[in-house]
Amino acid sequence: MSDEHVLSADDISHSFGGVEVLEAISLSVERGSVTALVGPNGSGKTTLLRVLAGILSPTEGTVSYHGPEAEREIGYMPQQPSFRPGFTAAETLAFYTSLVDGDPESLLDRVGLAQARNRRVEALSGGMRRLLGIAQATVGDPPVTILDEPGSGLDPGMRQQTFEVVANLASEGTAVLLSTHDMTLAAEFADQIALIERGAVVETGTPQQLLDTYECESLQTLFETAFETDTAVDVAGETA
Amino acid sequence: MSTRKAVQTLVVRELVTLARSRAYYGLIAGVFLVSVGVLFAGGGAEAGYVPAAVDLLLPFELLVPAVAVALGYRTVTDDAQRGELDVLKTYPVPPWAYVLGVYAGRALALCAALVGPLALIGLYLSTQSPPDPATLATHQGIDSPALFVRFGALTLVYGLVTLALATAVSALAWSRRTAIVLAVVALTVVVAGIDLVLLRGFGTGWIADQQLTTLLAASPASAYRGLVFETVLYAAFDTETGYAAPGASAIGLFVWFALTVGVTVAGVSRAN
Repeated sequence: MSDEHVLSADDISHSFGGVEVLEAISLSVERGSVTALVGPNGSGKTTLLRVLAGILSPTEGTVSYHGPEAEREIGYMPQQPSFRPGFTAAETLAFYTSLVDGDPESLLDRVGLAQARNRRVEALSGGMRRLLGIAQATVGDPPVTILDEPGSGLDPGMRQQTFEVVANLASEGTAVLLSTHDMTLAAEFADQIALIERGAVVETGTPQQLLDTYECESLQTLFETAFETDTAVDVAGETA
Repeated sequence: MSTRKAVQTLVVRELVTLARSRAYYGLIAGVFLVSVGVLFAGGGAEAGYVPAAVDLLLPFELLVPAVAVALGYRTVTDDAQRGELDVLKTYPVPPWAYVLGVYAGRALALCAALVGPLALIGLYLSTQSPPDPATLATHQGIDSPALFVRFGALTLVYGLVTLALATAVSALAWSRRTAIVLAVVALTVVVAGIDLVLLRGFGTGWIADQQLTTLLAASPASAYRGLVFETVLYAAFDTETGYAAPGASAIGLFVWFALTVGVTVAGVSRAN
């Protein structure tokens, strides 16, 4: 794993109206690595990813891109990737590759959708649509690729395939930042894990470092331990 | 990759989307059937080009914005709902280029939906014998294919302005339901709302006689009607002018266009 930071967030906060969803988060992602954001539902993962992707502006703090010059610096797949109906998978990617350089066929190959190239997007299964979303996120070979829950709602086989695609991207030098609830796959594929709760990053480290810190044998146990503990403290603080 | 190429890509996507939509062909057929029906019912079909324009003018004040709204009211809303606007923000496509591409694509489709039926009607009229002077008199106009072309051009301009308004509605709506509601409100405002307010003002004395024709140019429908009156229907009669303010009408339509395109760009820029 390289030490080269390509994207960093410094003390970023984000509010929707008066509700602070992210609070002073600092995070860096490195070239050729997979960083997994892990946290319970509603913890701010999606908002953080959208801020890092440049879709939302932070209300405080800065997001800086330090990677190589690129036509598309950051690729992004939303939590529910959806595409204009009436177009095939190949036509959909051809649209995006017309906006930056890219080859739709090689992108379909990359995610294993070559055989579904002529299938209309509305006829794709949820998993295939997610793979098409990953292909879209990598159009133009952006140095940073952000994927919001790429494994959500997929069967175990498809989820494994999705994370293998992610690992291949990282091995080709892309910095991949993703959110997930799947601790097993996070442990297998992530180089760095950031635990996020209530809009704040509570711990960052390699899977092994986190296991050592929390004195847990598996990341699943760590998830339950870390977040249950913090939640209990929060609730006690609220009622005190 | 240039922004120009991005705009072209977006234009092509809109055109392909509509070309694959049965509803779009239904829309064109609807415009044609309504136009032909109005013509034959009003007698303009036998009378010539200007009488045909006279017959079409009033229904087109409603039909044209209805077609424009049908083509544009969900354009941006659907892209936003699918998360495609978010995704496009990660591509080198500035909001104005997105709006230009989407609008231009829909504008070409609107052009086909309006000009196609009018061209067919024009062809039919060209095969008819010269009009009966009595019929010409009842339709208050002289006959010339050039005047019918002018009517078609003004109709297209009116359509493009109302399409810009429909696109703005789609950029402001946060769901399909609100897009429908806002589209109905916009349609009402364009077709009758502003006229009614101005007429009410005139009736109560708030608006003076000499101000009315100029102020009516603020309404897209009235501006369109005024331009057709002044440049098509009364083109040959020096004494039959002054019912509308053509300059103010042209400015009114331009302001509506510029304003609504600006609103669309702002709406897309802030969408998240």
